Amino acid sequence: MSRILADIKGFGRQYLRSKVGAFFTFAFPILLILLFGAIYSASGTQKVSLPVQNLDGSPFSVAYLNELNNTTLVNIKMIPADANITNYINDNSLSLALQIPVNFGSKIVDGLGPNYSGPVLVTVYGDKSQSTFGTAIAAVQAASVSFNYNLSRTLPLVAPGVQGLKEGYKFLDYFLPGVVGITVMTNSLFSMTSICAEYRQRGFFKLLATTKLRKHEWLISKFVFFSIILILSLLTTFAVASAAFGTHSTITLLALAMIPAGAFLFVSLGMLLGVAIKDPESGVAVANAIGFPMMFLSGSFFPLDMMPHFLQVLATALPLTYFNNGLRDTMVYGNTGGALANLAVVLVVGAVFFVLSSRLMSWKER
Amino acid sequence: MNGALIDVKNLSKHYPPDVKAVDGISFEIKSGQIFSMLGPNGAGKTTTVEILEGLRNPTSGTATIFGIDVTRDYSEIRDKVGILPQNFEPFDELKPAEAVEYWAGLYDKKMSRKDIERLLEKVNLTGRKSSVSKKLSGGEKRKLGIALSLINEPEVLFLDEPTTGLDPKARRDLWALIQDIRKKGTTVFLTTHYLDEAERLADDVAIMHKGKIIAQDSPEKLIRKHAKLTVIVLVGIGPDGLKEIKRRGIEAITEADGDILVPVNDPSEMRTIFQKLSGIELNVKDMYTRRQTLEDVFLDLVGAKMEEGDLKP
Repeated sequence: MSRILADIKGFGRQYLRSKVGAFFTFAFPILLILLFGAIYSASGTQKVSLPVQNLDGSPFSVAYLNELNNTTLVNIKMIPADANITNYINDNSLSLALQIPVNFGSKIVDGLGPNYSGPVLVTVYGDKSQSTFGTAIAAVQAASVSFNYNLSRTLPLVAPGVQGLKEGYKFLDYFLPGVVGITVMTNSLFSMTSICAEYRQRGFFKLLATTKLRKHEWLISKFVFFSIILILSLLTTFAVASAAFGTHSTITLLALAMIPAGAFLFVSLGMLLGVAIKDPESGVAVANAIGFPMMFLSGSFFPLDMMPHFLQVLATALPLTYFNNGLRDTMVYGNTGGALANLAVVLVVGAVFFVLSSRLMSWKER
Repeated sequence: MNGALIDVKNLSKHYPPDVKAVDGISFEIKSGQIFSMLGPNGAGKTTTVEILEGLRNPTSGTATIFGIDVTRDYSEIRDKVGILPQNFEPFDELKPAEAVEYWAGLYDKKMSRKDIERLLEKVNLTGRKSSVSKKLSGGEKRKLGIALSLINEPEVLFLDEPTTGLDPKARRDLWALIQDIRKKGTTVFLTTHYLDEAERLADDVAIMHKGKIIAQDSPEKLIRKHAKLTVIVLVGIGPDGLKEIKRRGIEAITEADGDILVPVNDPSEMRTIFQKLSGIELNVKDMYTRRQTLEDVFLDLVGAKMEEGDLKP
């Protein structure tokens, strides 16, 4: 026990004095929270900027624009009526635009009479590959439906009713567990892979092998150290997020328990990767090759539902997915059962990596 | 135990397919000695030391320290052994006192602040105690390494090339430190590729080449056996002068730089040789006597000189 404490103290001093260690433990998650918090601070749903060219100018087109504005999905900006719209789109690098045609008002009037010959088309210019295109189309459809109802005086038979599931929750509340997941992974996995490679290259493992410290004690000391600093990191990041943006997610005992479990998992995985790596450069490359895809595919930044099905299947094979889900279960949804199930997966996978790394790693030369 | 503190018999370490890093070496080290294993890079010195330190397993042979088989029961002697590995570098971000405190903890040893200061004073590092290790000079880093190796007050100290890459002053400082450690009764196993270091420090030298020990004795006996204690050096007499010397029955050889060496087998012969030389008309630019060293022994045994661990023909 005293050797583990000595190693925690000695290693901790080195780690926290190195600028990289301190940055990735404390500054990195705070930076992410501040940046993403600022970007998504307005509300849960973001408005899309929609430039509109009104070639009509009648009260009907003005009324239509009001309906469009009422959808709250778009910010309308006007394009001069005398501009060539395709040139204007190119010159201003627009990905979206709406054109209300000439004689929009008179065609509406005609359509309301007996000579109805189909709807008047408003044209949406846009890049279908952009997510903003879908929002713009939804806004235009909603505005059109509402406009039609108002003019034709038919009564709506179906209308959406909204019941908020998590009142007051923001994007940041869902993002915060992802940031914690990334921080736990980068610190434990990336650090351990590099540390193993550096210790081997600089002869530190041989040096340690000459002392009374045993391999499993060294690994336990790393797990304890990363657990402590990552819990501190979680508390700091949460405090900053709350102070800056007023988050509604909560830190629960289960969330605090997830941190050592994650540290256990990724420290063990880092050491397992470090078994075969000879130099720190390769260590960084391997950790990045495994860590970065995992970061993006495990729902740290985006909900898994947004990804294609095959990637969602792949995500179920990534341990960070369970860590992120567990944290969200307890911090955002208050789903203790779900969080415990995810915690169990993290612990079991961590135990497998721990046993493998303890057995395969050798401090000695063959 | 047969009186030797370290006893190595027929020790081999082979790597597939056919590398014989250590090839059946045997030697003994008595308590309180400085034993130097001397040889070029790749001779097998570090492999031998690491087997003795419990860091590698031999292919065959035995190695015991205090009668304990190091390949099986190294943990039994861990407390009695101190180690400075080759190319030692301390942990960058720790100050010397913190490094000592850390290392002491890994040996289950509690050291008070005073104990730590005393140890740093022993290796002359008290002046740098507030600098993190990465800011120490090469010599200071090795001194810190020696301080760490002394934490458990070892009876045997392994120093694997402790002065490699250091400037002459740092080397001399470390030599003084090593001699000081020996004076306190510690047995020192020193590997080096510096011939002057082995000659200056060691009671016993084993010259290792291609995995084998090719000679072993005290430096003086090695020099007597494989070289001449003293030579007379004649500068600038050329091939004609050499012929004339040999014609008078005086043994002489030419060095690579053209100087002529006249070996003196016994100090009592010196006068006679000088008398013979004085009778020859030689166009001598300079003449002096030189004591031969392990360098000459190494040249005689290996047929090449050694510079910074590499062999030079």
